[in-house]
Amino acid sequence: MKMEQQEKEFRLNVTRRHFLTKAGLGMGGAALGGLLFKDQFIGAESQAAMQLGVAQFAPKAKRIIYLFQNGAPSQLETFDYKPLLNKMHGAELPASIRMGQRLTGMTSNQEKFPLVGSTFNFAQHGQSGAWVSELFPHMAAIVDDLCFIKTMHTEAINHDPALTFFQTGAQQGNRPSMGAWMSYGLGSENSNLPSYCVLLSRGRGNGQGVYSKLWTNGFLDSVHQGVVFSSGEDPVLYLNNPEGHDKQNRRDMLDMLAKFNAASFENIGDPEIKTRIQQYEMSYRMQSAVPELTDFSKESNSTIKLYGPDCLVPGTYAANCLLARKLSESGVRFVQLYHQGWDTHGNLEGDMRMQAEDVDRASAGLIKDLKQRGLLDETLIIWGGEFGRTNYCQGALTKDSYGRDHHPKCFSLWMAGGGTKPGTVYGETDEFGYNIVKDPVSVHDFHATVLHLMGINHEQLTYKHLGRRYRLTDIAGEVVQGVIA
Amino acid sequence: MMKQNQLHVHIIGSLLMLLQALMLVLCIVSLNDIPWWLKQLGHLHPVLLHLPIAFIFLLLPLSFIFKKDSDQERLFISYFLHYTALFATITALLGLLSASSNEYDPDILLKHKWLSISTALLSHLLIYIFQISHRKRSLWITAVSTTVTVMMVGSHFGGSLTHGEDYLNFDKEEKNTKAFMPLSDSTLIYQDLVQTVLINKCIECHNEKKMKGGLNLNSYASFQKGGKTGAAFAVGDPDQSLFIQRALLNIDDNKHMPPKGKMQLTQEELFLFKEWTKRNADTLLQFHQIDLKDTLHAILSKMVEVKSIENTAKVYPFSKAVDDNIQSLNSPFRRIMPVDINSPALVVKFYLKEKFSLQLLEECSPIAKQVIEINLSSMPADDAVFKHLSMFENLEKLNLNGTMISGKQLSSLKSNKHLSSIKLANTAVRANEIETLGTLPSLQSVYLWNSQVTSDEITLLQKKYSSIKWDIGYIPDEKELLKLTPPSTANAEKMILDPGELVQLKHPLPGAQIKYTTDGSVPDSSNGMIYTKPFNISGLTQINAIAVSDGWMSSNPSNFTYFLKGAKVDSAVLIHRPADRYKSNGSVALIDFNKGITTNLNLNWLGFRDETMKAGFYFSQPAVIKQAVLSIADNTYSYVFPPEKIIIKGGSNKSNLKVIGSFSPIQPKAQRNAGIIPITVQLIPGLYPFIEVEAINLQRLPPWHPGKKEKGWVFVDEVFFY
Repeated sequence: MKMEQQEKEFRLNVTRRHFLTKAGLGMGGAALGGLLFKDQFIGAESQAAMQLGVAQFAPKAKRIIYLFQNGAPSQLETFDYKPLLNKMHGAELPASIRMGQRLTGMTSNQEKFPLVGSTFNFAQHGQSGAWVSELFPHMAAIVDDLCFIKTMHTEAINHDPALTFFQTGAQQGNRPSMGAWMSYGLGSENSNLPSYCVLLSRGRGNGQGVYSKLWTNGFLDSVHQGVVFSSGEDPVLYLNNPEGHDKQNRRDMLDMLAKFNAASFENIGDPEIKTRIQQYEMSYRMQSAVPELTDFSKESNSTIKLYGPDCLVPGTYAANCLLARKLSESGVRFVQLYHQGWDTHGNLEGDMRMQAEDVDRASAGLIKDLKQRGLLDETLIIWGGEFGRTNYCQGALTKDSYGRDHHPKCFSLWMAGGGTKPGTVYGETDEFGYNIVKDPVSVHDFHATVLHLMGINHEQLTYKHLGRRYRLTDIAGEVVQGVIA
Repeated sequence: MMKQNQLHVHIIGSLLMLLQALMLVLCIVSLNDIPWWLKQLGHLHPVLLHLPIAFIFLLLPLSFIFKKDSDQERLFISYFLHYTALFATITALLGLLSASSNEYDPDILLKHKWLSISTALLSHLLIYIFQISHRKRSLWITAVSTTVTVMMVGSHFGGSLTHGEDYLNFDKEEKNTKAFMPLSDSTLIYQDLVQTVLINKCIECHNEKKMKGGLNLNSYASFQKGGKTGAAFAVGDPDQSLFIQRALLNIDDNKHMPPKGKMQLTQEELFLFKEWTKRNADTLLQFHQIDLKDTLHAILSKMVEVKSIENTAKVYPFSKAVDDNIQSLNSPFRRIMPVDINSPALVVKFYLKEKFSLQLLEECSPIAKQVIEINLSSMPADDAVFKHLSMFENLEKLNLNGTMISGKQLSSLKSNKHLSSIKLANTAVRANEIETLGTLPSLQSVYLWNSQVTSDEITLLQKKYSSIKWDIGYIPDEKELLKLTPPSTANAEKMILDPGELVQLKHPLPGAQIKYTTDGSVPDSSNGMIYTKPFNISGLTQINAIAVSDGWMSSNPSNFTYFLKGAKVDSAVLIHRPADRYKSNGSVALIDFNKGITTNLNLNWLGFRDETMKAGFYFSQPAVIKQAVLSIADNTYSYVFPPEKIIIKGGSNKSNLKVIGSFSPIQPKAQRNAGIIPITVQLIPGLYPFIEVEAINLQRLPPWHPGKKEKGWVFVDEVFFY
């Protein structure tokens, strides 16, 4: 008995050798499974990233001109007609409408939130019957070319996060901007010019700043960074050869420099070196390409009247629109304008008049100019700000002036050309101009739609950074079919 | 014990002989009319065949481990061999019974049959070889290897019979189900739709290599011919069509097709079959022949994936160009891009005028067929371009905006039959030249802004060729008068001029005239001098200027303040101290000719509040001084006001001074926009080696100001002496 007992015990004893052998073999077996079925264990890969440099499917728009109205123009004074506000002028904003929407620090101390009707008259225009305020007669005349979205909404309530959200798809963080993504995904048509250009202009109204974060390349190659054209006499600084240097000199210098840089790259392998070489080459070609673009002395009378006489003065919105048309016509993929001064917290009436004067004629002129050159079908033009404005007054509501605070829940934006549906008004807000009733379009949806018009599936234009596949639309966004022709 | 074993072996051995003999007989006999119950028995063949395969394989390891001298082991192996042979034989017999149907490829069947029979025979032989190879291992090993090999080859052919020849094919490609091509008008119902279903769900068992039931679905003819049970379908009569009947049977019915366990037909696919058979099983039937209201139309639209917007790819009648050609032709001045990654269509664009030549266009001939769009806008292309355009037979869009064509050769574009859009803005084309294009069949739009075509002519063209859009573009309203922008100066920032330096005014509108004044009055149609060339100033000069031009409203006035550099001051000294924050670089700020700007009072400005501004200026070569000009910052919002009084003293040195001038500037009555104000103080003319300037800041801000009763600031950035 004892013998059997001992035998049993002996057999039950698992030695270290035994354990390690069997465990090792077991792990090996699992590892073999991992080797054979590599992809199973890497975690769900989203659809394969798209191939770069060419559209995934036939695009409607080949280039974009984004007329960004910085500071947030009030939708209640531009394209969203709310007569109820005029009727209820001075009445308190009902809590049922506000539904606990957060206030900014600027109005949180207000005791009252009196509704304010717009001092400007609205009328319907064109075959689409779109409502446009009296401030924008030129845009009103071309409503049948425009596609209005009245139900844009965002999450940010202040300028910096809202601007960053619009341009990069997230409220914080140094992510690539829209233009950088376009440059990354589609490349440049014309390699003699940057594929992403930024033009700034200052309005006379209350201005908010713009910062280079808004046209940054983020974690993408710095080739995709937006190139700001300065608003002085020399739009691209230091482009011309210095005294005594001619083109051949410059060429020789660049060739030698490229040799050094190439050797350096072989040594160090920093991809920025290659970018640098590319940028020098492009600058060299830009010396030929840029001067004829920025020379406004030969514009015809007809063009000057189309955009307004401001278009000859560098640094104005009209001049930027004209330059944008020329850049876009020459193959620049993404041209972005920023016109500051729409932040009408106070003195709304006066400021809106000045701002509208700056942009109305030129924006409409840009569209007409592209149309008469047969380019409107392939150029997408966008006009809009970073959020809307409140239907209640900020500060004292007087007979002569009122102001509006920031309002993220609904605002208006229009698009034209590039495959959008002309003569359309998309979405509906409530009669208080506070909430969205039908067809909301989030900023992600907006990005998805723009990418779609350019021939890119927004879920597939990704870039792996720090282990995560980032994309412009982050983790959301649906293409809005209702605005696509 | 031994005897029992021997008996056991003996029985097996005898049975084996019997069956082997039977097997050999059945080999050569025709097996077409065997009783049905035997046929059913033959169906056990696929079940039983695993045994002889396993046993024969096992022989290999067993051979290497048995000990020659162990009787027990030898007995065991003897048993093993007997059973192996038995199973092999029974399997072979069953196989013979099931081989009768003409379901299988005869070639493979033959090979399988004879190899498998050989396996059975060999395994029988092994029993004896084992007994005699007691001392000769090599013989045994050879025999076993041969048997294993024959078995493997034979069973491979067997596998081919049931699973198809390429089952063991180690090809990387996986056979996926064939997808439906997007529906278009020309989709053939049989070839593109019915056949796709057959390929996905039926052809695995019903093809040329494997014809279950004798049915081969690879071609229409064999489909129609059918198999053992008869024709697969009856033209025009779905109810009588065998393939539909089989599909409609209960799933548990043996005859139901596709067999239970395999992918079944969907309702839509079945409907498709029925409808197609009903329509005479026509191979020429196309999608556009099906009426929109027909249920089949709806079913097919549902079955074939609704084209997502992404798939509305235009199908072109040409294939992709050779990649190398595209690569070699691509350059920064001639860009060739595909419309999208899958499309064969190409777009060609030209950049940089100075690099352009018609040869660049000519060189595109290798890819001419694929080009659908050419963009020559702003290129110096003249009429010679047209002869190079005829090779682009699929050209749809042509952009000649801003080129140097005259229009005379436009008619040659008629050979581009697919041309849908022509852009001729900014060219010299005339109406009669463009009219010839009105007859182009696919032309949809023509852009003629800023050409020689008048709007009246466009109206006529639009009427005549109404299917084409003739675009004249923007024509400015003659009666609309726009206001000019104000004039600017050549160097806006520079406000301090050296003696002899000229003031230059300019305006961007060609032909605009500038009128200006220097006396502070506002120029208009009657007042002011016409600017012709840059001019001199003396001392402090304030210029107001407007721009005028025919057909435009006069601009708002712009104003500029210029300071001429005055008498040379050798050095300055601060007698009173400025506020610590606004001390710039000390007294030298007042004479360094660096102007401050209104928005930044920290740079180049000296700010005084607690003490008045008091500074002294030394002149080593005194000239006659008649006036002093102080450049003052004015920013009422920030409590910066003009001084309430300026007192200037002069003399031969610091302690020997007398008042030579004083002035009290006008104070603002309300808040105003920030600016820089020059204040002139007239002095008793004289030679003063030392001058002291005191600007007394407002001791009490005016009552209208929120900071009333407080002291104001005074900021000075420069002092000039003339």
